[in-house]
Amino acid sequence: MAELKEITRKLKEIHEKIKSEIPWEPIGHTPMPEIADLRNWDMKLLQTYKPFYAPFCDLCCFCTYGKCDLTEDRRGACGIDIGTQQARFVLLACLMGCSAHASHAGHILEVLIEKHGPDKKINLGTSVELEAPNIRTVLGLKPETLGDLKIAIEYVYKEIAHLLDSTHMGQEGSCLDYESKSLHAGMLDHVGMEVADIAQIVGFNYPTSVANTPLVDLGWNSVDKTKPIICFIGHNPATSTVVIDYLQENNLYDKVEVCGVCCTALETTRYSDRAKVIGPFSRQLFYIRSGIADVIMTDEQCIRTDMPQEATKAGSALIATLDKVMYGLEDATEMDTGEIVKKMVEEKKHFAILDGKKAAEVAVKVAMAIAPQRRKQWLTEQEATELAKKCGLCGMCEQVCPNLFDIGRGVNEVAKGNYEVIREIFNLCVGCGKCEEECPRNIPILKIMQVGASKETYKIRAGRGPIMDTEIRTVGAPITLGTIPGVVALVGCSNFPDIRDLAEIVDEFARRKYIVVVSGCTAMAVGMWKDADGKTIYEKYPPEFDAGGVVNVGSCVANSHISGAAIKIANIFAALPLRANYEVMADYVLNRVGAVGIAWGAYSQKAASIATGFNRLGVPVILGPHSSKYRRLYLSRKDEDEWKVMDARKKQIVETGEPSPEHLAYVCETKEKAMVMIPKLCIRKNDTPQGRAIKLNHYISLYKKYMGGGLPEDLPLYVRRDADIPLVYKKEVKAYLTQIGWKPKEPVGLPTLIGTYPTKVPVDSVIH
Amino acid sequence: MSQLAPLMPYHRVNILTGTRTARLVEDPVEYAKQIQKAQRPLLVLGPRLLKITLGERLLIEYALDIAKAKNIPTCATATVKSKMVELGVPPDSVYDIVEIVNALKDPNWRGVRKEGNHDLVLFFGFRTDLGEQGLSVLKHFAPHLKTMTLCKYYYPHADFSLPNMRKDEQWKSFLEGLIENLKKE
Repeated sequence: MAELKEITRKLKEIHEKIKSEIPWEPIGHTPMPEIADLRNWDMKLLQTYKPFYAPFCDLCCFCTYGKCDLTEDRRGACGIDIGTQQARFVLLACLMGCSAHASHAGHILEVLIEKHGPDKKINLGTSVELEAPNIRTVLGLKPETLGDLKIAIEYVYKEIAHLLDSTHMGQEGSCLDYESKSLHAGMLDHVGMEVADIAQIVGFNYPTSVANTPLVDLGWNSVDKTKPIICFIGHNPATSTVVIDYLQENNLYDKVEVCGVCCTALETTRYSDRAKVIGPFSRQLFYIRSGIADVIMTDEQCIRTDMPQEATKAGSALIATLDKVMYGLEDATEMDTGEIVKKMVEEKKHFAILDGKKAAEVAVKVAMAIAPQRRKQWLTEQEATELAKKCGLCGMCEQVCPNLFDIGRGVNEVAKGNYEVIREIFNLCVGCGKCEEECPRNIPILKIMQVGASKETYKIRAGRGPIMDTEIRTVGAPITLGTIPGVVALVGCSNFPDIRDLAEIVDEFARRKYIVVVSGCTAMAVGMWKDADGKTIYEKYPPEFDAGGVVNVGSCVANSHISGAAIKIANIFAALPLRANYEVMADYVLNRVGAVGIAWGAYSQKAASIATGFNRLGVPVILGPHSSKYRRLYLSRKDEDEWKVMDARKKQIVETGEPSPEHLAYVCETKEKAMVMIPKLCIRKNDTPQGRAIKLNHYISLYKKYMGGGLPEDLPLYVRRDADIPLVYKKEVKAYLTQIGWKPKEPVGLPTLIGTYPTKVPVDSVIH
Repeated sequence: MSQLAPLMPYHRVNILTGTRTARLVEDPVEYAKQIQKAQRPLLVLGPRLLKITLGERLLIEYALDIAKAKNIPTCATATVKSKMVELGVPPDSVYDIVEIVNALKDPNWRGVRKEGNHDLVLFFGFRTDLGEQGLSVLKHFAPHLKTMTLCKYYYPHADFSLPNMRKDEQWKSFLEGLIENLKKE
């Protein structure tokens, strides 16, 4: 009885929070889900897409019982085995990522509520009525004001605390349950990101309900070096927007350059299209060491931890603007502005200033004071050659290069006056600076790379936020029928094996009329390439969420608009209710929306949680080679696993034998392999014959182009009937199918996993 | 078979750590003996075999000589298959690296020739960091097989590994010695 009372109290509380009295849609089975509420869905996914663990280390060193050796069936002092330890580690990574976005969301929300009040209406323009697909689906709440977003973020905080608790020594003992918790953290991350970006769009008046956002300058050479330069690094625009305001209010915007590295740059260009984007995280150290920025302002997330030392070396001034990253600097928030400026200019001191307005004023005044005294030039080839002459080709730099490149050879060639090799290396460089640290002769390798770095100025389209409801109405049918062959989302960070891969992937799939979506550092990397006509990807392809379009949604937190678009297809196009109806939405996306994520340079914990959130929603993710270091993938074995689904119309479980999508989290070693995996992972059981033939046409053609001819080995698994065979390859495919004794099979009318595992959701819920 | 010896891998930044580390083998005769002992070896071929030239020959050609010398079945990953077809030696199987490692983990897998899972897996031509992660999977979750690497770097997570070789001549001589010894028996 006491238990029942507790459940009733909890339900009442949830219903109050999600304002259940407002009947915009019926409430589904999982309002504000807790850890175990979607566990059965997770277990169903994990039954097919089993966790694949690649331990980075043999040990656990989390508590004082250890270090515990977990090799050869050994368990730790707490009883944990090596697989479960990996799962625990992955959960911690997802929680770090989820917390980073949630904390960003919470902070920006506080700033904006302070500015506009909690009743500020959420209005994302005339084309975005479904403003918060993740929040509505997960919580069951339709947020109408900034204050409502607080309810969502407080729910995320609470769940994070529960999840983090489970990683404490001596608790969860199942890798599958840890995975379910990681999937939960990933889902929460998309809620947190959505809160952050909706708040920013509303509070900063970012563009919304528009596809054709401004094209802004991209590249380290886009900044006018003759002016004072303020460079933002990080993810949170709370201060960068205030700097722009300050410059405008004081008629200084023509006199000062504002630029950024990483996501704050993207955010700032949504606020002002005159701001410049230097480049992704991988160019951070390179740019700082160039000394071109007069003032560096850090906020949060992907910022180097040695920024004060680097800023000092480069002669730049540094202001840390958020409490998450204070670097041990003196907190000058309460200090007199004039005094701070004086100390920064005369004594070259760096400060933490947690008041945005004060930080903005100080930054502008310091930049204007020190810029005229500083030398801001790129290194000349002659200077580089002189510096490179010290290289003894000892090979130490190669040994510590995360991209395994022979940097010494490049430096040595510079010494001989050949700059081609260093140009090539610069494209492979992920910007960690380990080579320089290791060099026994202290050669400034990153500085030398300036002669290999392109001095081109590129264009990037400013992030546009949510996909419009009107766009979803246009593309919903062709995506689910398969006639738009897929949505390809290139997201995440810049630990690429080669920065040029990204633009090539975008170009290939946009040309083939896939819908291409980009975000974060990847959105910058894809812009750093021009075709033969001198056009960047953003100038070459239209900005609409439609076949052949390239859409930049914005920064990391704008990834929630990509998951949101998938949910919108289920809700707007298929008219399935989304309110607190996560399983139905995820099931729809998994079985009917041909979308795939590519995190080619993922390195951060945020990328882990974003990808895992996509996975819970049924979107597979392809990762680059570095991502094997995340320790966990979700792989099926197409020949061994069952591929059963419920045919919702016939209410029958059917063995399809079709591995679609084949994997949920997959690492490719080469760009060529990724080019072939992308079309394959866009195949869905719901494809019509026409749609399947289009998808297979791309699969075969890309296989021939990148894998050197022939037909994909697993092609027969994806051909259901003759009508699925693309016309252009009909003869070749039919001959092959006959040779191997292929038999046709019936496509499934309405494929769903609902009904194949224990769930409260009735099968009829998936019929629209 | 691995040993408790904290040797340093070449690419230190990516693949350092562990309590069980590979047995370092410099003698091709010993490597050949280990391969001879195996009942069902498998040679997994990576994309770097198509990029590196040793002497006058592409690395893939050394790999194919090794396979031929002992009739070792091959698994082509990434883009390796097309080159093998071009050389007239199609692979016995095509999987990408994470897929073949995933299959090898399963003791009941039938192997590429459907004769049972493999008892010795030779890896050749992968990025060291990705290769090392794949080897880690097998070290921890595939006690039913041993792993061996043929690249010129030390791989701690393998059972048998070459040492770091600064000179390509040393590597070339090792591979030629291995092929020679495999042919002998």
